[in-house]
Amino acid sequence: MIVADHLNKHFKIYETKKGLMGSMTSLFSAKHQVVKAVNEISFKIEEGEFVGYIGPNGAGKSTTIKMLSGILHPTAGYVEVGGVSPQKRRKEVAKKIGIVFGQRTQLWWDLPLRDSFDILKEMYKVPDAKYQHFLKLYDDMLQIGNFMNTPVRKLSLGQRMRGDLAAAMIHDPDVLFLDEPTIGLDVNAKTSIRSFLKEMNEKEKKTILLTTHDMDDIEQLCSRVIVINHGQIVLDGTLTELRKNIGLPSVMEVQYRTKPEIGDMVMDGIEKMRWEEEKLVLQYDRSVLSSPSLLQEVTKWGEPIDIQMKEPDIEEVIRKIY
Amino acid sequence: MVYWILLQKSFLRNMQYKIAHLINNAASAIFGFVFIAIWVGVLEGKDQNSPYNVMEMTYYIAAVQCILWISGFLTAGLNIQNGVRNGAISLELVRPTNFFLYVTSQEAGRLIYNFFFRTIPIGLVFALTVGFYVPQKGTTYLFLCISIFLAIIISINLHYLVGISACWTTEIDWAHFVNFTLLVALGGQFVPIDFLPAPLSTLTQYLPFAGAIYYPVMILLEKISYDVILLQLLWAVVLTLFNLWLTEKARQKLEIQGG
Amino acid sequence: MHLYLKLLSGSLRSRMQYKMNFLISSLSYALIMAVDFILLAAILQRFDDVKGWNLYEVGLLYGISSVAITLYRVFGVEIHNFERYMVEGEFDSLLIRPVSPLSLLLTKNLDLSRIGGTLQGVIILIISIIGLHEKSVDTFFLILYLPVSILSGVVICFSLGLLTATIAFWTQRIKDFQTFTLYAPFNAANYPMNIYPGWLKLIFFTVIPVGFMNYTPVLFLLNKGGDLWNLLLPPAVAFVFLFIAYRFWQFGIRHYHSTGS
Repeated sequence: MIVADHLNKHFKIYETKKGLMGSMTSLFSAKHQVVKAVNEISFKIEEGEFVGYIGPNGAGKSTTIKMLSGILHPTAGYVEVGGVSPQKRRKEVAKKIGIVFGQRTQLWWDLPLRDSFDILKEMYKVPDAKYQHFLKLYDDMLQIGNFMNTPVRKLSLGQRMRGDLAAAMIHDPDVLFLDEPTIGLDVNAKTSIRSFLKEMNEKEKKTILLTTHDMDDIEQLCSRVIVINHGQIVLDGTLTELRKNIGLPSVMEVQYRTKPEIGDMVMDGIEKMRWEEEKLVLQYDRSVLSSPSLLQEVTKWGEPIDIQMKEPDIEEVIRKIY
Repeated sequence: MVYWILLQKSFLRNMQYKIAHLINNAASAIFGFVFIAIWVGVLEGKDQNSPYNVMEMTYYIAAVQCILWISGFLTAGLNIQNGVRNGAISLELVRPTNFFLYVTSQEAGRLIYNFFFRTIPIGLVFALTVGFYVPQKGTTYLFLCISIFLAIIISINLHYLVGISACWTTEIDWAHFVNFTLLVALGGQFVPIDFLPAPLSTLTQYLPFAGAIYYPVMILLEKISYDVILLQLLWAVVLTLFNLWLTEKARQKLEIQGG
Repeated sequence: MHLYLKLLSGSLRSRMQYKMNFLISSLSYALIMAVDFILLAAILQRFDDVKGWNLYEVGLLYGISSVAITLYRVFGVEIHNFERYMVEGEFDSLLIRPVSPLSLLLTKNLDLSRIGGTLQGVIILIISIIGLHEKSVDTFFLILYLPVSILSGVVICFSLGLLTATIAFWTQRIKDFQTFTLYAPFNAANYPMNIYPGWLKLIFFTVIPVGFMNYTPVLFLLNKGGDLWNLLLPPAVAFVFLFIAYRFWQFGIRHYHSTGS
């Protein structure tokens, strides 16, 4: 469904000098640095796969997605989506894909949500019957009906994101590119979006490529994970493989009233234990040790006054791969 | 002195856009050439019926194009409206600094920048192509400085008035356009105000708009008595006092309604 | 076409949410332009003509030029404000649609508040034609030709706007260029070209061809010189210029594909 073959994207960064003369000369001088935003990336994604595309900020995730969707053209290498090159036939590919940028809405800001759908229906030439069918389907799953007539600028972030998702899929694309769709959302909105995506993938056999900083997204949705750093793939495998490689440590921070007495017997699943100022920081593997049983254990050690759960940080995960 | 620092910062911020401004200067000079060409076309061979001959009118337009950058093209509403829209104005009004000075000193920094990087280069372009009038009497230079200073104060106040009105109307685009149109039309940007039809030309002489553009230019050209500076001074004082009063009203309104 | 209507009606409705504001800003745009022309009328009242062109004759040039630029400002608002797409990185979201970015931009928005300026230009044209008629000038062919002249003007203005917008692919910001490529030339085109020095005339008949839209045909139609070619040149120049602008725009998009923002 999606093919990337020795994909490269290099950017030239021009030096700007200070002062009036400097900025004048830098307009003409060819002095520049080449930054390899994407460096020899190859992968193949089959129909119906749900792939997590993760890496630290500036690793080249967005650049890859932009090349897959035809926004940017690769410096070298080959891309194909649904058997078509987005570089050569961008408009054709545009009909096969749906894109969501979490940071930026693609809905018409001043218009009611419904109008955005109407416009997109015309833009993608969606037949009436099909349009009604999908509108109803997405309403059932995402509950967008209650705010269909509200101008987009008045929607909450969660409502807007659900609207954005439905808008990206109104033309029933085979492939979905999602760039941080859960960023900044509350737990409810995240859950609703995740179950929607899961169903779209399982029932409708949509091929989905997702970038995220939220490890829960990956854990609950992705059957396969591609990790990139500095423009190169550092890991491509199943979620189990990723877990085997690095584990997916969850973190619990406990503050005790008095210094606790920790037994010599460390429970299975606890990977790391350290003190950070007054707090005991525990890293554990949730697939081995459930949170409630760890909670039980830590209360045995002393009287906790504050307990905080933290999800693993993606940057931390990437660091561990090296 | 905090206002001095604000002024400097604003000056430096403008320094970053020099190249774009250089292109804009060329356009500004072309506007001047167009106006001069129209006047040359109109006045050629008809000098005797006109209080200005072709050369004087050329000097007039050239001087106007230069002074526009320090007393004509100010920031719309001095950006006060942005503060009203995002609510930051409530914070700014309760700061220990004087809000009026806080806003105007930033604009002053921009105008000083404009003087060096717009007024002077554009003036040089005119001097090299069509000529630029150089005052003959020494005293003119002194009074010119005073007159320009007052012109800037008048114009800053007019723009401040538009900006602070946002506290009551939120939207100031149209107010800015009306103010700007009056400023350039009744300030004598294209037509010296003594050329306007009879009742209008008399009235315009007493309005603040003439004090922002027309009078300093006429003093530069040594075609008017220095007395007009008193009229400029009057407008500068009246507008400043009115704006200070209005700022106080705005503060009260925001305190009651909480923005 | 259907899509275009959908988009336009959407844009209309989003504007109408701020009715009062819309009304006042339309009026104030019209006021600015009216004041400008009234000043010109005041001068010509006193001095009869500008290098052989009387008030009504200048009014024709003035009307055509202002109708052309305001129509561009109404329909080409997103082209005119294109730097926003570069500065805020919104151009990407145009490239993910199965429609060309240019058609998306043209249909995204309408700035109806500029209609006031168009209306005002039309009124100047009407006054001028009536004035000429009273001076027993034959205005039949003039009126007939007016739509061609205005259309050529809109196309030339749109092409200039598009050329300037394309610069944003390299410089990001274009507001300062627009004074140079649009505001100053169209202000100049309000008056007869024969008043300008040679180098300015050269510019207005080559790189920024605003002289063709009104001066060239009106010169012939008012029996001030030229021949039938003067009537053919405006649309011809307009479409050649549009073609050049469009090719440059495509070149700009290719540049964007390879560099991003």
